[in-house]
Formats: sequence, structure tokens, C-alpha cells
Amino acid sequence: MRIVEVDPTSCVACRNCEYACAFKQTGDFDIKDSNIRVNFYPEERACIPWTCVHCGEGWCMEVCPAGAILRNPETGAVEIDANHCAGCKMCLLACPSGSIHFDKVELVSKKCDLCGGDPACVKFCTSGALQFVEEEEAYSFRRESLDNKLKRLFGLNKRGS
Amino acid sequence: MQIVIIGNSAAGLSALSRFRSIDRESPITLISAESGTAYSKVLLPYYLRRKIPYENLFIRRPEDYTQAGIKTEFGVKVKRVDTESHTLTLEDGRTIGFARLLIATGSRPFLPPIEGLAGANVYHLWTLSDTEQLDSLFRPGQRALVIGSGFIALQAAWAAQQRGLKVTVFELLPRIMPTVLDDRAAAVLRQKVEEHGVEVRIGIHTEAVERTRKGLLRVQTKGHPPLDVDLIIVGAGVRPNTELLDGSPVQIDRGIPVDEYMETNVPGIYAAGDVARGPTAFGETHQTHALWPTAVEHGRIAGANMAGRSVPYQGSLNMNVTEMFGITVASMGKFIEDEGLTSHVIDEAGQSRYVKIILREGIPIGAVALGDADDTVILGRLRPWIRNQRSLPDVGGFLEGRYLLPRQVA
Ligand SMILES: Cc1cc2nc3c(=O)[nH]c(=O)nc-3n(C[C@H](O)[C@H](O)[C@H](O)COP(=O)(O)OP(=O)(O)OC[C@H]3O[C@@H](n4cnc5c(N)ncnc54)[C@H](O)[C@@H]3O)c2cc1C
Ligand code: SF4
Repeated sequence: MRIVEVDPTSCVACRNCEYACAFKQTGDFDIKDSNIRVNFYPEERACIPWTCVHCGEGWCMEVCPAGAILRNPETGAVEIDANHCAGCKMCLLACPSGSIHFDKVELVSKKCDLCGGDPACVKFCTSGALQFVEEEEAYSFRRESLDNKLKRLFGLNKRGS
Repeated sequence: MQIVIIGNSAAGLSALSRFRSIDRESPITLISAESGTAYSKVLLPYYLRRKIPYENLFIRRPEDYTQAGIKTEFGVKVKRVDTESHTLTLEDGRTIGFARLLIATGSRPFLPPIEGLAGANVYHLWTLSDTEQLDSLFRPGQRALVIGSGFIALQAAWAAQQRGLKVTVFELLPRIMPTVLDDRAAAVLRQKVEEHGVEVRIGIHTEAVERTRKGLLRVQTKGHPPLDVDLIIVGAGVRPNTELLDGSPVQIDRGIPVDEYMETNVPGIYAAGDVARGPTAFGETHQTHALWPTAVEHGRIAGANMAGRSVPYQGSLNMNVTEMFGITVASMGKFIEDEGLTSHVIDEAGQSRYVKIILREGIPIGAVALGDADDTVILGRLRPWIRNQRSLPDVGGFLEGRYLLPRQVA
């Protein structure tokens, strides 16, 4: 499957990805609605956009007490089925990277679904910091697999609890 | 290798799917005292207050069991476990042999020893059948008393209030949600509860329940006039379902203590979920959380080890979140200030927002958040810090949503 790869060294913090994501979902530009979020590290003068990496065995999928989080067999994306989500927010608390958000209008949780296989954030990224690439090739600029990267960053196993 | 799993819920099902992902062959029998396919206990209050339809309570379809290639025995209770002959006895007298056994029987609500409480018109919100019963009783104008103010008790109170009942909550201790919130958070939530027209009485000692000739319940308390209600919902804690092990050598101590492989003191017999007392992320060896995520984690570890892997459990980190009375309430880890701990607090009473992170020598160990769901997201991000004992130098920045990753890495 392909995922959104982030290269923090190229990000210029324009937040276009956030606008693109919000617009795609709501037809409006309120970046609070975005699923991708740009994180700022002022002292390091760094910024890292971050969105769901569609973990191999996502802890959100496992923990959802409604069985509402499933993998899309076509895109490989971990998706929330709004018709089955009860809005209990357990997944918000379970996700170690804060990639699940609450839809205050629909009262269900929501997250990146890779826009069905053509992510808007990547399309509108101004600096090339976001790329839509095969999972195995992602993060090759650091020559480590995504799982290892996650493990190092969060001290987690693939499952992510 | 005959595998038997007792319990068709969070822990049992998570063990089943983990086991099957490793071992497609071994025969498995899944037993549950309740009939029907699995439903989600967590969702029961959501159905009761009509947030979700009835059919969404069910988290497995009949064909899911067939596809997993297992035999099911639903609607029958396990009475006894014989560890010598490796057999179970069901309540209908049949016996089932096992090579490896998982006990994931969960817990059940506890009825406090209040005179006259046991009897008609006193309910719990615990199982699907409890929920169906309450559903039929939730008529506008009825008066309900909720005894206890934990997560489930307050969810019951909210569902009842939303369905038009007049609700009173009694809590014995001096604040609501005594095990899930700190004082300040409890006060913020209490105000929300009361804004919804639910009466909350704390520090109240229920002495007796009498049944009047009109079929009402008259609740006597120390120092207050009696309260007349149509029904009582009791949410005063739970007890593990361990009776099936009475007389067996499996150790029981307020639950079933298990090691880091979720195995009991008897080799080949595992326990998981509410019934088990396993290790925590803070190094405690035997703790009961009685939480859904812990049950799922327990089950996953037990399932892997029953299938022959050797996977130790990193220990559970309690986490709890719910929305009630229009506010999101989340907590995790250790969130009560104690000696040697520091705390970082945001308290915006006007906006009903309260966030607190507790640290030990700069390392976060727990948090509470009340208010918006956005703070729940922040708490989720904090979990890896707690688990990995990473020091968090800029708590303020973290709470503002910066610092997705530990800084030394970023
Ligand atoms: C109303 C309600 C709301 C909740 N909300 C939350 C929440 O928001 N967040 C959270 O983390 N947790 C919540 N919980 C707690 C959570 O549901 C439990 O921690 C979780 O269900 C435990 O799972 P389990 O598999 O260990 O046991 P259970 O879910 O209790 O399942 C036990 C299983 O064992 C079977 N069984 C029991 N005894 C026998 C026997 N002798 N023979 C055969 N079968 C037997 C039962 O039929 C059942 O299938 C809630 C619980 C309730 C009741
Ligand atoms: S909020 Fe919805 S998707 Fe998330 S865990 Fe709860 S039911 Fe599942």
C-alpha cells in the first residue's frame, strides 16, 4: 500500500496540507477540521506535518469497541465507518500520534482515509515534503523502515499501544 | 491441541483473533453464558440514550465465528474447571476437554449491602439483557435513583436524563467519579451534571430501601428526608467472575493473578480481561483495571502465548474516556497529586476546560482532561511518553499541541 511520507527537512510550514485536507472534507478552509497537522518545534526551528501512517496492526482498530475501524481492502487505509462509530473517543486516546479527531458536527470520530487513494494534502504540498509512496519505500531517506521509525519515535511496537 | 476460551467479549475475542492469526489449525471452542453473537458492553449506554441503533451493539456476525473455524457454545455457563483431568463441566452437565484454557469471564456488578436494596425495581447497567430491561422502563417522568457515580453509573444517569427521567445520583464518597477523576475535575463535571437537571448528592449514606404499597421505592438516608423513586440503578463497583474456579488449584485473589504471559499459577490455564489481575505499565504485578482496552491487550497477549509464542506483556496503562452531560472526560495513568509529584494544570472554569498532567521528576505518569475532545487527542499523544518514561521538558507547549514526538528525536 501507499502512505503519506513526511520529510520534515523540506517542510516550510505553509500549512497548505491542512487547508487542503479541511477543504476536501468540508468544502471550507477551517484548518481545525484537518486530519493532517503541522507540529511546531520552535526551539529547534523545525516543523513536522503528521498524519495517520495506517499502522500494520493499528491499536485504534483493535481497541474500537464498536468494530468501526477497518482497513480498506483497496487502498490499505485504516478507515472509520461513520455508520458504526458510536463516538466513544477511545480511538482518540489510543492513537499515539494524535491522528484521530472528533467531528463535532456528526459526533463521530474521523481520520485520514488517504482520500480514497489520491491524498489532497500531497497534491497541494508546496515544498515536496509530503509524498505518496509505497510503504516499503517510505522514509528511505533515513534508510529505516516505517515500523522501526515508529518504534524509535514512540517506543512502540507495530501495534502501537 | 484443543483450545477452550470462556468469554465472548473483549478479552476472549481478542485472544481468539490473535491465536488464529498464528495457528489456523488447532480446534477452538468458545463458550459464553450469554446467548447470541458478541455485543459491546461499552456501547450499551449509547444505545440506551439512542445515540446508536440496537443492531450497532453487535460486534460479531454469526459467520465471523464460522469463518474463524471455531465451535461455539453460547447460552451455557461453565460450572467447574478440573485442572487434573483438563476438563470443564457445563451447567447442563456436559464436559469439554482442553489442552489450553483461557478464562475471560469478566466481572459482574456488585450489590452493596444496603438493607432492602435487593429486590424488585433495582437494576444494573451491565449486560445486554440489563439494557433491554432498562430500555423498557425508561419512560419520561419516571424517577430514577443512581447509586454510585463511576463511569458507568453516570452514563446510566445521563441516558436516563436524556430519555426524560428525573434522576438523582447518590455517591457515598465526598466527590463523584472517585476512582477516575481528581477533585477539581470532579467538581467541573458535577456542575455539568447538575446543569442537566440531575441532582447529585455526595457523601451520602444510603441506609435502607423500603417498598411502598404503591410499588415505589422509598430510600432512607442518614440526615436527609426519604427519597421516593420508581427505580434504582446500582453502579457501585464490580466483582470478578471466578466461581467456576472454586475448589480448583487456580489461585484467586480479588480476581485471577496472572504473570506477564497472562498465565495463571496453573500451567496451560490463562486469564484475561476484567477477571484477571495482570501487570501494569508502572511495574505493579497484579492490578484490575476493568477497562475495555486492558481486556483487549490482555486477550492479545494470552492468545499469542496460548499459540506457542513467548510474548511478555509490557503492562497495562489504564485509559478511560467518555462523553457525558455534554463534556468529554478522559483520564489515564496516575493522575492524583501525591508527594514527590509535580503537576501542570490548565483550568479554564468558564469554558469547562480542565487539563492536568502529573509528572515524576519531569516524566509524565498520568493525566486528566475535561472539556473538548481535542484534549483527548493530546492525552493520546502523551501515552508514549508515559510508557517509555520520557521526560517532557515543555509541558505547556505540549498541551498547546506542539511536540508530537519527543524533542530529542525531532
Ligand atoms: C455499561 C458499560 C459501559 C462501559 N464503558 C466502558 C468504557 O467507556 N471504557 C472502558 O474502558 N470500559 C468500559 N466498560 C468496561 C468494559 O466493558 C469491560 O472492561 C470489558 O467488557 C471487559 O471485557 P471482558 O472480556 O474481560 O469481560 P466481559 O465483557 O464481562 O465478558 C465476559 C464474558 O464471559 C462470559 N461468561 C462469564 N461467566 C461465564 C461462565 N461461568 N461460563 C461461560 N461464560 C461466562 C460472559 O457471557 C461474557 O461473554 C463498560 C462496561 C459496561 C457494563
Ligand atoms: S470513537 Fe468511534 S471509531 Fe473511535 S473507538 Fe469509539 S466507536 Fe470506534
